[in-house]
Amino acid sequence: MHIPDNYLSPVTCAVMTAAMVPVWAFAIKKVKKELPKAKLPQLGIGAALTFLMMMYNVPLPGGTSGHAVGGTLIAILMGPSAACVCVSVALLLQALLFGDGGILSFGANCFNMAFVLPFAGYYLYKFIRERVKSKSGEYAGAIAGSYFGLVFAALLTAVEFGLQPLLFRDAAGQPLYCPYSLSVSIPAMVIPHLLVAGPVEAAFTVLILAFVKKVSPDLAEPLPGKKTRGVWGLLLALVCAAPLGLLASGTAWGEWGMDEIAGLAGYTPAGMASGFSFNALLPDYSVSGLPEVLGYILSAVLGTAILVIVFKLIASRKKPAGQH
Amino acid sequence: MIEFSGVSYAYDTAPALRDVTFSIAAGESVCLLGPNGSGKSTLLRLLNGLIFPTGGSYFFEGREITAALMKKAAFAKQFHQRVGFVFQDSEAQLFCPTVFDEVAFGPRQMGLDEEQTARRADDCLALLGIEALRGRQPYHLSGGEKKKVAVAAALALNPEVLVLDEPMNSLDPRTERALAQFLLQLEAAGKTVIVSTHDLRLAARLSKRAILFDESHAVAADGETAALLADRGLLKKANLVDWEEE
Amino acid sequence: MADIPQWLTRPEPYEPPKDRDRFLDRSIVSFVTLLSRFRSQSALERDLLWVSPVSKLAAAVLYVVLVSLARQFGFVYLMLAYAAVLLALLPARELRRCLAGAFAAAALAYLILLPSALAGSRYSITMIPAKAFVCVSFVNLLSRTTRWDRLTGALRRFRFPDLFIFVIDITIKYIALLGEFALQMLYALRLRSVGRNRGKYGSLAGAAGTLFLKSRAMSEELYYAMECRGFTGEYRTARVRPTWRDGVFWALNAGLVLAYFALS
Repeated sequence: MHIPDNYLSPVTCAVMTAAMVPVWAFAIKKVKKELPKAKLPQLGIGAALTFLMMMYNVPLPGGTSGHAVGGTLIAILMGPSAACVCVSVALLLQALLFGDGGILSFGANCFNMAFVLPFAGYYLYKFIRERVKSKSGEYAGAIAGSYFGLVFAALLTAVEFGLQPLLFRDAAGQPLYCPYSLSVSIPAMVIPHLLVAGPVEAAFTVLILAFVKKVSPDLAEPLPGKKTRGVWGLLLALVCAAPLGLLASGTAWGEWGMDEIAGLAGYTPAGMASGFSFNALLPDYSVSGLPEVLGYILSAVLGTAILVIVFKLIASRKKPAGQH
Repeated sequence: MIEFSGVSYAYDTAPALRDVTFSIAAGESVCLLGPNGSGKSTLLRLLNGLIFPTGGSYFFEGREITAALMKKAAFAKQFHQRVGFVFQDSEAQLFCPTVFDEVAFGPRQMGLDEEQTARRADDCLALLGIEALRGRQPYHLSGGEKKKVAVAAALALNPEVLVLDEPMNSLDPRTERALAQFLLQLEAAGKTVIVSTHDLRLAARLSKRAILFDESHAVAADGETAALLADRGLLKKANLVDWEEE
Repeated sequence: MADIPQWLTRPEPYEPPKDRDRFLDRSIVSFVTLLSRFRSQSALERDLLWVSPVSKLAAAVLYVVLVSLARQFGFVYLMLAYAAVLLALLPARELRRCLAGAFAAAALAYLILLPSALAGSRYSITMIPAKAFVCVSFVNLLSRTTRWDRLTGALRRFRFPDLFIFVIDITIKYIALLGEFALQMLYALRLRSVGRNRGKYGSLAGAAGTLFLKSRAMSEELYYAMECRGFTGEYRTARVRPTWRDGVFWALNAGLVLAYFALS
């Protein structure tokens, strides 16, 4: 679910970041209101926990394994606003310090995993829990909330991807970023989440919640929530506004009319490339878009650097490893 | 049975163990003595196949324990059944909802039916004197109780070797005495018991043999516990005592 | 105390049944790798690549933006050469890990884009894997040549409030602390996984759930520590003064920006 850089255009990233600003403001304000100042650093521990939750390799049927996100779980345990802050911080550190990439797409990733996943998941959980007043109601809520929260987040991710080829093309008509349109990206992302990642997330969430409730029931209650209606409105508004914002900015950028976009939603690439000639990237050391001399110089620099790197790696291989 | 031959280990570039060589036969009771930071915990992790030597070799019953060998699930599982490990931090070792589940975890995995499992678990709980904690949650127990649960859980696998890392840390005197008593019982029953500690009195009580580590991460002495402990000069050099007594 | 029962005095003839628990090993590897990152970054007594952390941070973001915007391979090639030069300056161990990450990102991109390339769209597969390599390289260079407390301190320059930076520092510290605890739990689970575990999910949930409880306990302690010290939200971090090297660096960056426009 983490979107790396270069799959979304910088414009999209800017829009998604702008969409997150009011969410962050809301979440931070709510958390500050409910926690005394001396307790605010605890958010750091929550963020650390969120970060670590994402690292567990979770077994899947068939012997493989995958990862859960845990956004809804954190929302149930700490409240959705705190979860938003914690997931955002965790994503920030993943991007900046742990080289997972995602500097520009930080806003989009936060929108999907720090906003939609915790809030949608939490409010579905709460909705079910208030209607089915029993222990199984709570667990059903956790399962439903985390499952649908994740699937919804995956859907939005797919939409973010799928809009790229519609909005961002070069003069020759080639897609500049993610080349898969909605008709490809939506099934490609949503189906695996519906079938595999969603159930894994739900299992992860409900089992941990059950364990915590069994062992320390008082800790499984987050801060008391106030009216839920206000946040529904915000949620709905933002979720609708974000894709519209994308389309609007893209329309201004790419000069596509609405009907052209609709027509292209089922875009299939023109022509199959039989005998696909893969033009050598660097024929005769000249690179497209560079004056020839610069191309030569850069190639020399790059070549030297590569040699140094290779030597260093070979020299360091003499030391054996000690851990598996 | 256990053979360390020139074993070294380094975390990235910082050395934790240097050229360690010793043998432990089945049924021996050995104490690893040394100050904090001398590499005892690292050695115990090597012993249990969690990490692997960066230099030298570790042999268990004649087979060299390497990362490749431990990747074979069948061997690894059998190995872990035969060598039980009790961590220094019991909190990190308990992850089941009740004490009984914790102790029953091992036998259940081994394929014993519920009746056999319950019998073994009850035996272990009785041995450690914690039958009353059967239905309690491990997370909320006191430090001493957690330690006993961890020992019971390791014991339920019926390992040949039991390894304990600083077992008496943060235990009150009565629990400490009870646990020491229990370990002596195990030794008498033929188990190989390896304990790491910096507590000299404990070493004297528990183990016939002591291997001393010093701050240079190497073996400083290896022999009969009583003799080793009598050599005050040696102990001072290893930073286990810091004033000359008597 | 009870007597030692019979079954404990006899050796156990045990043949382990088959089970799939690669997930446990993979989790352990993830956590071990994570913790070794902390060790190597705290060993940085002096930052490598000798430019102030603020400059490095701003530059890394700038480079990612420029590379992402670039539409011609020429500029990407320029940035690739630049990244390679910087990588060549790293010590071997850090270099290996940087490269691994960058190649992984590029390979992943290549795999994802292969279907579209085979269907005729050549631009993506030419540009995006290269861009991914370059961007991930620069971010890795940033985080592997700067000690992290200096990096978070650099955030102050960008008008982030003290409290926010404090929370981030706490997060980093507790990722290490809790990560160590989580790893111990995984080891414990592995050590006792001697057969077929029908309750794999339950065990993992137990480990993760206990991690949560441990984090709550640590939160309590942190709160008390904050109260005892009369925490008011003030937080000072070490400031690294920019030098003449930063001036040179930004002249270079200005040149890169010009190159971007020239090569568009």
